[in-house]
Amino acid sequence: MYSFLFFLILEIFGLLFLVLSFSVIVFYFILMALSGLEMRDFLRKNRFADYGDIITSPIAPGVSILAPAFNEGQSIVQNAQSLLSLHYGKFEVILINDGSKDDTLEKLIRSFELEKTNYVYHPEIETKPVRGIYRSKNMSYRRLTVIDKENGGKADALNTGINIASLELLACIDVDCILSSESISRMVRPFMEETNKKVIAVGGVIGIANNCDVQDGTVTKYRIPETTLGRFQVIEYFRAFLMGRMAWARINGLMLISGAFGFFRKDLVRAVGGYFPKTVGEDMELVVRMRRYMDEQKIPHKVGFVPDPLCWTEVPESEKVLSRQRNRWMRGTIETLQLHQVLRLNPKFGILGMVSYPFWSIFEKAAPIIETAGILYTTILLIVGDFSTIYFVALLLMMYLLSLLVSSFSVLYEQIAFNHYKDKKDLRKLIWMIITEPFIVHPKVVYWGLLGHIDFVKGKGGWGSMIRTGFKKAEDKKNLQEQTTT
Amino acid sequence: MAKSLCRIVISLLFFLPGFASALQDTIPEDSAGFRDFLVLQKEVPGLGARFFVAGTRTLDLNTPDSAYGFAQVDSGYLSPIYIDFLQAAELEGLLLSDSVPYRLDYMVLSEPASAAAAREFVAGRIRSGDYLVKTGPEDEVEDLVALASNTRYAPVEKFRLKFVSDYRLFGVTLTIVFFFLVAIIMITSMLIMKAGKNKRENLQKEYSRLIVDPLTTLLFEKDLGEIQAMDQSELDSFFPKNLMAKPLYQHELIDSIIGLNKKMKGDFKEKLKALYKKLGLDKLSVKMLHHKNWDMATMALVQINEMDLVEALPEVKKFTNSKNFHVRSMAVSTLLNLSEKVDLVFLRDQTYPLSHWQQMNYLRIIRFVSPQKDLKLGILFDSKNRSIRLFGIKLVRILGRVDMIEKLSALAGGVSDEEKIEILETYAALGAYMESAFVNECLRSENPSLSLAAAKAAAVVGDAESAEILLELVQSETVFRNKLAYLKGLYGLDAARFAEFTSSDSHPELQDIRDHILDPMLQNV
Amino acid sequence: MKKILIIEDDKLISSLVQFRLKKDGYETHLVADGNEGILAIDALIPDLIITDVMMPFRSGIEIIHHAKQSQPDTPIIVLSSLGEEEQVVLEAFNLGVADFVPKPFNPNELAIRVKRILK
Repeated sequence: MYSFLFFLILEIFGLLFLVLSFSVIVFYFILMALSGLEMRDFLRKNRFADYGDIITSPIAPGVSILAPAFNEGQSIVQNAQSLLSLHYGKFEVILINDGSKDDTLEKLIRSFELEKTNYVYHPEIETKPVRGIYRSKNMSYRRLTVIDKENGGKADALNTGINIASLELLACIDVDCILSSESISRMVRPFMEETNKKVIAVGGVIGIANNCDVQDGTVTKYRIPETTLGRFQVIEYFRAFLMGRMAWARINGLMLISGAFGFFRKDLVRAVGGYFPKTVGEDMELVVRMRRYMDEQKIPHKVGFVPDPLCWTEVPESEKVLSRQRNRWMRGTIETLQLHQVLRLNPKFGILGMVSYPFWSIFEKAAPIIETAGILYTTILLIVGDFSTIYFVALLLMMYLLSLLVSSFSVLYEQIAFNHYKDKKDLRKLIWMIITEPFIVHPKVVYWGLLGHIDFVKGKGGWGSMIRTGFKKAEDKKNLQEQTTT
Repeated sequence: MAKSLCRIVISLLFFLPGFASALQDTIPEDSAGFRDFLVLQKEVPGLGARFFVAGTRTLDLNTPDSAYGFAQVDSGYLSPIYIDFLQAAELEGLLLSDSVPYRLDYMVLSEPASAAAAREFVAGRIRSGDYLVKTGPEDEVEDLVALASNTRYAPVEKFRLKFVSDYRLFGVTLTIVFFFLVAIIMITSMLIMKAGKNKRENLQKEYSRLIVDPLTTLLFEKDLGEIQAMDQSELDSFFPKNLMAKPLYQHELIDSIIGLNKKMKGDFKEKLKALYKKLGLDKLSVKMLHHKNWDMATMALVQINEMDLVEALPEVKKFTNSKNFHVRSMAVSTLLNLSEKVDLVFLRDQTYPLSHWQQMNYLRIIRFVSPQKDLKLGILFDSKNRSIRLFGIKLVRILGRVDMIEKLSALAGGVSDEEKIEILETYAALGAYMESAFVNECLRSENPSLSLAAAKAAAVVGDAESAEILLELVQSETVFRNKLAYLKGLYGLDAARFAEFTSSDSHPELQDIRDHILDPMLQNV
Repeated sequence: MKKILIIEDDKLISSLVQFRLKKDGYETHLVADGNEGILAIDALIPDLIITDVMMPFRSGIEIIHHAKQSQPDTPIIVLSSLGEEEQVVLEAFNLGVADFVPKPFNPNELAIRVKRILK
């Protein structure tokens, strides 16, 4: 009797996995094709682009750069200096000292001759109290504003900056990012090209700076990282940015802009109430909320993407830090999807609701669970001695080949478009990484994702009920303060 | 899914024990009867039969062509184990007809056993329901019951294969085939593309190497008049005919000339342009305008623009309303750049919204040509396209065309708020004091963004009435940010009124705002 | 004969310059990128260096740095690309380049400048 229940379950799973693996294959082929097309168009477009104009043109929009800093005393002055030396006409740099416990603020005050101003901080978006807003009398630092506030996390710090920003566009960045001097002019372009569809946000590529030479804000010599985890992330970032996001940008289905480097329209960010400080995935959540808002208002819109290499960051190479990052990403994804369940397969939200949301639910959120189940399933089949095992083993093998194919194509795209890793040895190492990654790193990533699920269920963060009910409307975040206090 | 569920339920039913209990006494007690019974059953799983012929026989029992196929052992010959009793019976008949003495051994689970033991084994099987007795001759139609009970002996996978695996097998095979098909197509097309690209690149390199020398000599050895007077044979001596026939070579030549043109000054530029026409490359550019790929068409426009191919302008005009963003942008740029008399009608009639990117490009050209050419900006105000009108107003501001204020003033009454905001900014930038009535009207607007823009403008071009309105607005305004903006406007317009208002009022909020506005470090925030 | 090193990635430009300078009787050497440029400076010990600013591998500024260190007396002419930043021009002059020729330029004019510097 039990044995047949067992077989019944096996059978249902078999069917599910079959459908899943088929759709994985189809989806990835579509993604590859779309990103290929987008890459081709991008390269063609760049032939006619003249970015020199943007820097001085009165038509170009102003950009407020928001960079939260927490205990960055070591490097804050240098980072601020490189931000101030970006090549652009109309921009300001707002550094937000998020209640650092070190000498971040003191160093800034000393280096940039800052003085406390009489700025009346009257927030539109609720934030933690601001202790002071500093500016410099020295004209060379006229673009710099430093906010000193009580600690409240990255989202809260950014919200403080959003309240103060005075220009049309917001560039939300991680303060330790290395930005190319022309990054603003390149990222501003999609906003300027807007015709029929409102461009609400633009995302950029994040490059990996580990083990590379950096000079004047640009990576001058690319070398792949020394560690396996570092190399794995090189491949992963290629896949995510050159393949994934390119493809999503093509069908206007982008749901995520990297928190380390994203541009937004300020009035819109304010209209939806800024970042949501209670989720760990604040970057993704904001984009989804903005898109949802635009759809609720029935305004045609798009989220742009610029594949130029403009921003680099040091990625964690230690297993401990990386596992925490992945755990957080997973929770962020789950939370965002939870908060905006209305989107799920809702034709009102177009591609976002019908394609992006389901894709993220299955291939990002549920992926670790599905993969674990898949491995368990095949193992059980093997133990039972089921005849069709070989087919499922073949299927697994094919998934492996698919991963090889996808990774190789993304490396190929990188080679075609930018060709950064010029050393043949580096390339060989990358290829070796592609081959071994599914066995040595991928299981860990899956495991960390599972831990993220577990932590989510355990309710890490303590605002579970809010997330579980979700926002009724995109603007609801604005009224959140009243909701949570009453 | 439902189908396979059904199958499982059916199989479950047949697995209920007890079916066979009534049949167990149908096994004959005597050995001949038992033999017949087995022949009727044909096969009983686990049970087999073997024949033994003793001694060394003249009969070739073990030769390959013999019907027996016996194996020789120490004391005689041993047949293979038969599990099909029908076959066993046939062999027995053969042995009998050849009158060979033999012994029949039953094999229970591959171990020799007596007839009684074999009988007991079969009975046991029947009792446990593991074997179902056939009572009549073999029924050709598949017997579900028999089949179902048969399967209990078969290892699990056999059961699975027959019932369930078919769709999975099919699905998996389909997926695998699909994967490999697409993967192979992708990889081969990638390889073909790459090979083609490599070949092209090598050719390009070769051609550009071939171009360098003749082009350099031409530019230094000949003056402009000589280049224009060159005849075909002379040209051929520099750029051979056979090469000129190749599109890739032409392409390289065009690129080289345009690249040089960008980086050269003085008479070199003239020489390059003359050469371009002399070689007939201008015709190629015009032809390329109609290329189906937008990037080629745009490239053609760039060439026309760079080489001043004025005669192509009527053709270019057709592309100002192209549905491709880049083509129409470049077409407009070319027209602005090359037209003798810049007639902005084509811009006015554009139906696509003008992006900021395009505005920036057109502005650069207009700025460049406006000192030499008479620009009738007013035309843009008549456009049905709002973004074009907005651009027109912006141009007035950026080019500092004070003479256009009158036109703007006539326009200002009946336009959208967005345009009004642009006009207000322009008034402020040009110092149009006479337009304060319009500013005041906008200050009273219900639309906060228009009212705020008016407050900004009032700081520069407002009058006494503006100050009054601003004070009213400050008092009635509830949004802090707007309050600050109105007070800023007031401060810019009339610092004395501002000081009076903020100091006499004891409200601490106003004092804070005053400190904010007066803080020199916050001037340009 | 005076030796002139031309570091420029645009083949056409460099050969135009070379052609013109050869006519004036100089010995000219072409290299197409920054790395080669630095090698050539040390190997040739030229009497004059003409260098572009925007180039593959190493910028003109790096080349000027190198040249000023290894052969401080060799004059350098910088050929700047279109729309070069003011900052770069200033930096180049600070490093002590002899002349600065912005593109678009006239090769005849460049030849005159070369003659004046090498006198």
